Amino acid sequence: MISAGWRAHLGPGGCWGVRTKGGATLLALGALGVLIAGCGSSEESAKSVPASAKQTISFAISGLGSEGEATEAAVKKFEAANPNVKVKIEVLSSNSTTYLQQLQTRFEGGSKTPDLLESDVTYPAKFADAGWIKSLSSFKPETGKFFKSEMEAGEFEGTVYAIPWFDNPEGLFYRTDMVPKAPESPEEVVADAKKAMQQHPELKEGLAFEGHKYEGAITAFLTVAPAFGGKLTASEIDTSGNVKALEWLHDALYTSKIAPTAVTGWEEGQVQEEFTSGHTPFAIDYPFVASVAEEGGPAKGKFAYIPFPAGPGGKPGSALGGEMLAINAKSEHSAAAYKLIEYLSEPEVQVARAEACGDPPSLPAAYTEALYRKDPVFKAVKELNNYAQPRPVSPKYLQISESLQDAFSSVFANSASPKGALEEAASRVKSLQA
Amino acid sequence: MSAHASAPGRAAPRPPRRRRASSDRAKADRRLGYLLVAPVLGLLALVTAYPLAYNLWNSFHEVNLGVARSAEPFVGVKNYSAMFSSPEWVDSLWKTAAFTAISVVLETIAALGLALMLNRRFRGRGFLRAAILIPWAVPTVVSAELWRTMVDPRAGFVDYLLGSLHLPLAHTTWLNGVWSSWTTVVVADAWKNVPFMAIILLAGLQVIPNEVYEAARIDGASAWQSFRRMTLPLLKPALSVALIFRTLQAFLVFDVIYILTGGGPGTSTQTLAYLNWRTFLIDTNFGYGGAMSIMLVVIALAIAALYVRFMRAES
Repeated sequence: MISAGWRAHLGPGGCWGVRTKGGATLLALGALGVLIAGCGSSEESAKSVPASAKQTISFAISGLGSEGEATEAAVKKFEAANPNVKVKIEVLSSNSTTYLQQLQTRFEGGSKTPDLLESDVTYPAKFADAGWIKSLSSFKPETGKFFKSEMEAGEFEGTVYAIPWFDNPEGLFYRTDMVPKAPESPEEVVADAKKAMQQHPELKEGLAFEGHKYEGAITAFLTVAPAFGGKLTASEIDTSGNVKALEWLHDALYTSKIAPTAVTGWEEGQVQEEFTSGHTPFAIDYPFVASVAEEGGPAKGKFAYIPFPAGPGGKPGSALGGEMLAINAKSEHSAAAYKLIEYLSEPEVQVARAEACGDPPSLPAAYTEALYRKDPVFKAVKELNNYAQPRPVSPKYLQISESLQDAFSSVFANSASPKGALEEAASRVKSLQA
Repeated sequence: MSAHASAPGRAAPRPPRRRRASSDRAKADRRLGYLLVAPVLGLLALVTAYPLAYNLWNSFHEVNLGVARSAEPFVGVKNYSAMFSSPEWVDSLWKTAAFTAISVVLETIAALGLALMLNRRFRGRGFLRAAILIPWAVPTVVSAELWRTMVDPRAGFVDYLLGSLHLPLAHTTWLNGVWSSWTTVVVADAWKNVPFMAIILLAGLQVIPNEVYEAARIDGASAWQSFRRMTLPLLKPALSVALIFRTLQAFLVFDVIYILTGGGPGTSTQTLAYLNWRTFLIDTNFGYGGAMSIMLVVIALAIAALYVRFMRAES
């Protein structure tokens, strides 16, 4: 009965209803069409706007904070020097995995923006392989002026796709007041840590490292691995050097017990807290720990930063981290974007960034006495850069990393042997390559 | 409607016309009905049917976003056969099934207890009924982060409490062991979901008339007997609804795993939904991931169908 009443409002015949129903279907189909079209558009070849033309370029960065402020300051100076170019900074997620997914979504949708993007050292191979970022060879970049290891991370199949922006080699922090001299082998690290724990009851552990199941576990491992003759590439995973390195980390948890099992929940932030609040004499972490330690606390002025000391047959260990700059393959403003890359890789600009937010420059030339006076840790960072090992440069790095994270996390949980876990990871990675 | 179709005897002279008029009206009503649900149908088509169809298409093709976009060839059931022969997938299937069975049973028992308690008269009952809903209202991501902090071996409340009460396991790194990780996941999941089940069961309890219990008491039934013979059978409809919801949710568990364990240690807490996420967003393999998603939908539908059938058979 109610519906009969409603019908009266619709007028004679209910024809309106018919038409509208068809209309609604059409509308829904139309909306669907728009959705589908929106996902697969812009296949036309990229136009190219010359660098001298008046234009606005977009620059995607990961998160804000002091790093973002340093970027904004540098970009302002660039705009002042190049009045025809305006730079719109797009702040995406500060979580690197989310940031990657945001970029991936944009690329997949064929977006022409961002023109310029920040990229972790492990992404360029993947982006280049998918055809998402532009080869920079036409700009003839001076690759020789950057640290070699980071430059290699920006190359894919012999072509340059990304330029180093800043460089974060991971290494070993130790307390100079608790450890008499820099350890010279992995065994000395264990012995020194044990001794320090006996002598200083305020210590909660002898070693802190990133043991959580996340990307940081790979760099922590790669900091230790070279000391045992190990290195990580897609085809070198279960090598004897790597097995020995993983055994060393496992034993730190379960045999010498210099590290607590709590490390399996720690990322670089917690490791830094342990070190800067004086809970540990040794910590494997990134250079940023130095600036936090200098702000105050038990470690202030009483620490050193070194590559992980080598054992017999190994070399000093450091893992390469850092951020690079790359250009969207569909960008119409690649010339202006490259100009900004060049500006950001000038030594003075890099020094200003290092002073503002502690990001270590990607150019050896930027490491000057003036920078060391500002913060002596940069001296150590430069030294570490001579050893920094890149993670496997591969378009499938994310999957390789996941397999390694599985392996490390089961070893750190004492539920798999280092050898067995690495062999399994190696066979998984092998099946990825096929 | 019945008014139009009524009095066939009196309207004998011109029945066809009247019937047509009434059927016209019925048609118009139906059209109006369609019109009114069109926006919802459109929305459903957009957010449910389209992704489902898209996944179905993907699952029969080779689609990998990580590979420079070229042809996406038809591969038949290759993705499905790869899935069924993958030890990782089969392993995840059993783990997910075990998690579902254990957590749903435990949560049902806890929720039933809670509902029975809240169904009694006591001071502050209204407040308590509202308060138990809080864990359910907290987003899973937040509650999982909360639990992650609580089981932290250094700063966490759980080890501290066990230690101060001189109980065993006071020095456990909860998320660094297969069984302790699962325990944490089950507890965190239950903490969030028991209230939801309890409220549904409470609603079921409240429609059971008190006279039934009074009669039982007069006949000399014990508390256990009246629970077993009266409460449980009468609660069955509410229980079934709660079970369907929880079983499906538990089977598709993702967020609590993602935050607490990341599938670890190793891959020991990797459930189907987590593996599916990993295939989509880490491997960017939309073909294989699509097959996994479709399989998840099929399993979920099968579970729902099983429950519905069971309920029908009971009634």
